[in-house]
Amino acid sequence: MRLFLRSTTLHILLALLAGLGLGLAYSWFISPVTYVDASPDILRADFKDQYRSVIAASYASTHDLARARARLELLGDADPTGELSAQAQRMLASGELFEIVSPLAQLATDLQQGVVSIPATSTAFVAVINTPTLETPFTDTTEEANPIDATQSTQPTFPPTSSFEQTPLAPQLSTSTARPTVTPIPQAGAPFILVKQETVCNPDLQPRLLQFMLTDSRRKQVSGIEIIVTWTEGEDRFFTGFKPELGNGYADFIMQADTTYSVRVAQGGAFVSSISVPTCTDTNGAAYSGGLLLTFQQ
Amino acid sequence: MTSSNWIKIIIAAVLGIALGVVYGWGIDPIEYTDVTPSILRADYRADYVLMVAEAHQNQQDSQTSARRLALLGSESPAQIVTSTLEYTTNKGFSQDEIILLQGLLTAMQTYQPQGINSP
Repeated sequence: MRLFLRSTTLHILLALLAGLGLGLAYSWFISPVTYVDASPDILRADFKDQYRSVIAASYASTHDLARARARLELLGDADPTGELSAQAQRMLASGELFEIVSPLAQLATDLQQGVVSIPATSTAFVAVINTPTLETPFTDTTEEANPIDATQSTQPTFPPTSSFEQTPLAPQLSTSTARPTVTPIPQAGAPFILVKQETVCNPDLQPRLLQFMLTDSRRKQVSGIEIIVTWTEGEDRFFTGFKPELGNGYADFIMQADTTYSVRVAQGGAFVSSISVPTCTDTNGAAYSGGLLLTFQQ
Repeated sequence: MTSSNWIKIIIAAVLGIALGVVYGWGIDPIEYTDVTPSILRADYRADYVLMVAEAHQNQQDSQTSARRLALLGSESPAQIVTSTLEYTTNKGFSQDEIILLQGLLTAMQTYQPQGINSP
């Protein structure tokens, strides 16, 4: 009997396990389940970046913040705004033009603030035409110039499937969506001037940090302003608003010790020279490299 | 070993294979994490093309739009927009969205990729 168990039951058990292994190998490696209906959250990272860029470009056209937010949520990012900012910085670092990157920064800023900023150009703005609390006047010619807008409010939209919520291109007539304050856009020609230069002695901050804060005439922070930092060996250019968590008018730069910098705000041409790393003293009397905060106002 | 024992072993092996396939396909299939946009579900594809159309309305840059559409597969940009137009029409997308897509389709039909010289 024992011999029977060894020779038959054991063989059956081994055959079952071997079959199980073969079955798993076939279903996982040889012929795995084929995906045909993928969702954006499982896209490869570089495709997610492309997807985000298209969302931002679309938002730059429609200014539908709710829809842009819904679309970003499809990507499954834990912090969509942070991802937008991070991508914008990566693109700038890789040499992309600001015109390409700015929609990402603008969308990140608007998501951060929860409001739609009006573009500085006279491009027809779909979402504001029927909004009762509009602050900026729009003429009728705007509607005439864009026949799509004129019919916008009367056309209901339908979600393509029940699992994907689609927000309308523009608010319906019946909605009374509040239109909060507008993100300040720099006025062409108004120069930025240095109104404050502070030494920042905070050992918790990054050493040698040169911080910028740009505001408009109403002291509201302004994004998208180019700052040029030059020194003997080189030059760096960057823009405000790429760290919306620190403010839309914020930008920073890491200085090197024993180097003198000049700072220029590209728009308006404010120029500050002889910028260098200040020396601070901690509570024990030890010296360390501090930072600077330059505040410009339009 | 008798022939009945061989039959039992073969049945056990076949049962094991069946269980393995059921587990690998149905219970715990391979999860994909780095897929390409070409296998996006139809509604996501349509929304992506719609986004490209919305951006195109503002930018009027056919090359950028074509490059964005190329993410969705090897079909020509015009074919991608055409199939999206059919889908959106059938699914009851708004007239405004259809118009945007038609505008993109027109641009893609007349778009000539750079670097290809027409005869």
